[in-house]
Amino acid sequence: MSTAQPSYQLSDYLDKLPGTTFRKLYQQPSTAFAIFRRMLPQLAKVFVQGLLYAPGPMLMSELEIWVRPEGKMQRDRALSVLRSLHVIQITPSGKDRPQELQLTTNFKNSMRLALEGGGTHNSFGVPSSLPVDPRIDIAHLDNYARKKWEDILHYVVNSVPVHGDGAAAGSGGGPKSSVKDLLLVGNLVERRHDTRAGVGITKAGFTFLLQEANAQVWTLLLQWLEAADRAKGKSDNIDMLSFLFMLASLELGRAYDTDALTETRRNMLPALVDFGLIYIPREDTRQYFPTRLATTLTSSASALRSVSSGFSAATANNPGDASSLGTTPDTSAAAKGSVFIETNYRLYAYTSSPLQIAVLALFAQLTLRFPGMVTGRLTRESIRRAIGFGITADQIISYLASHSHEQMARAAAAAGHPVLPPTVVDQIRLWQLENERMRTSAGFLFKDFESLDDYMDLSSYADEVGVLVWRSDKKRMFYANKYEQLRDYLKNRKK
Amino acid sequence: MVKAVRGVLVECEPAIKSILVLIDSENRNEFIIEDLDETHLFVKETMLHLLKQKLEERLKETYRPEEPLEDSE
Repeated sequence: MSTAQPSYQLSDYLDKLPGTTFRKLYQQPSTAFAIFRRMLPQLAKVFVQGLLYAPGPMLMSELEIWVRPEGKMQRDRALSVLRSLHVIQITPSGKDRPQELQLTTNFKNSMRLALEGGGTHNSFGVPSSLPVDPRIDIAHLDNYARKKWEDILHYVVNSVPVHGDGAAAGSGGGPKSSVKDLLLVGNLVERRHDTRAGVGITKAGFTFLLQEANAQVWTLLLQWLEAADRAKGKSDNIDMLSFLFMLASLELGRAYDTDALTETRRNMLPALVDFGLIYIPREDTRQYFPTRLATTLTSSASALRSVSSGFSAATANNPGDASSLGTTPDTSAAAKGSVFIETNYRLYAYTSSPLQIAVLALFAQLTLRFPGMVTGRLTRESIRRAIGFGITADQIISYLASHSHEQMARAAAAAGHPVLPPTVVDQIRLWQLENERMRTSAGFLFKDFESLDDYMDLSSYADEVGVLVWRSDKKRMFYANKYEQLRDYLKNRKK
Repeated sequence: MVKAVRGVLVECEPAIKSILVLIDSENRNEFIIEDLDETHLFVKETMLHLLKQKLEERLKETYRPEEPLEDSE
């Protein structure tokens, strides 16, 4: 009976920014490059590459030759993403003038600089010229980042009223109070008195926990940016956001110069240390080291994440991303997986990680705990509780699939079965259906069209850009989950 | 002139939809903006939570879920 809201994603945040902000953001080559890497679908990248060194604007009709007729939908989607990110400009269509498109000036210049090098923008960080402590190697940074990030996850997990003791015995300390405040502001946890930590997890918090690490980091960073927005105003946040994009382009294991940063950026360092995105040696604060959490922020693994697929990417538990970062304490075990699930809904997990046990306890009824192993089962009640928290059946299934023991995968492959027993997968879905009688989504209903043509025109455009959810030709109404692109389309058409 | 109305699209089984319509009519049509088709309703965003509660109450009166299979030790 609940809608699972994906946690806050980068595309949602960018959607809200005005065009002027984008122009300022694109002054930094690293930002233009990061947007190119992370936010654009493949076809949009092809367009950008084609337009980057074009001497002048290109005719829309020429662009159409690049795409096969059956790819019209992908083309329109790519163009609409490019437009919403202010990467391209398209002139409005007129009677005497054909439509033209070109890259926006700042984006084009910065993108060229990013590819060719040169300039004195220092947009990709200034390596430190000081000697580097040999103890700070990649393994050290990985451990450090994992520790920091797990502290945060532990804090969120520990706010669950855990059944049985031990599971909540986290690694002490927990995150800094600034991070705790952020989790509160971001509504991932809320103040409650019935739990040990004094706070309770929210629906958004559960969705957050089951996400892949990369999406988790972004969720937290965006909360942080918004909090800064409210405190200081917009001017700072452009620099903050471009600093994050810059961090993503730095090289893991190298030292960078703290003094070369602007004041805004230097002020960000303590918070980034708290998140585990950067490491600053205690003895020498003139250097900072980006960790894997930072350098994978815009990694190509999630580059396919477009505005339209943002939702599925947010809810998907991508095993590739999770294992590349290894947020579970025992990276080797997590990569192999440790969970068995049988056709009788019994569940065995070879793990002693409090984090993983707590996550399992979110949707399974755990019964016994041994050194290095827990057992339990999935029940109607446990799934119902999970769905009440806002976890979806698909999240549970994909969590089980990506964490299943390799023995299970091997046996399944040998017998030609899917990895998870189909009965269990179906039953989890059925339990969800039973509990979730209505599927809901917020959006806009378009109605009262003047003519059938108007209706057909706008509804088919909505379909092409991928915002159409429901339509009725008889009633001349349709429902779309976003309206900005449709509004722009109507405006352009009127001219 | 075309209008865009803000709200929530609800997708459900026809049986559930008819209960929702009934709840709406018992409450001075406070919930539903537009009855779209057999399986879709368009409802006010602010009232969604209350509507869900009312549906849950209504279902509790009529619906007894079967207990899941017992543990086979």
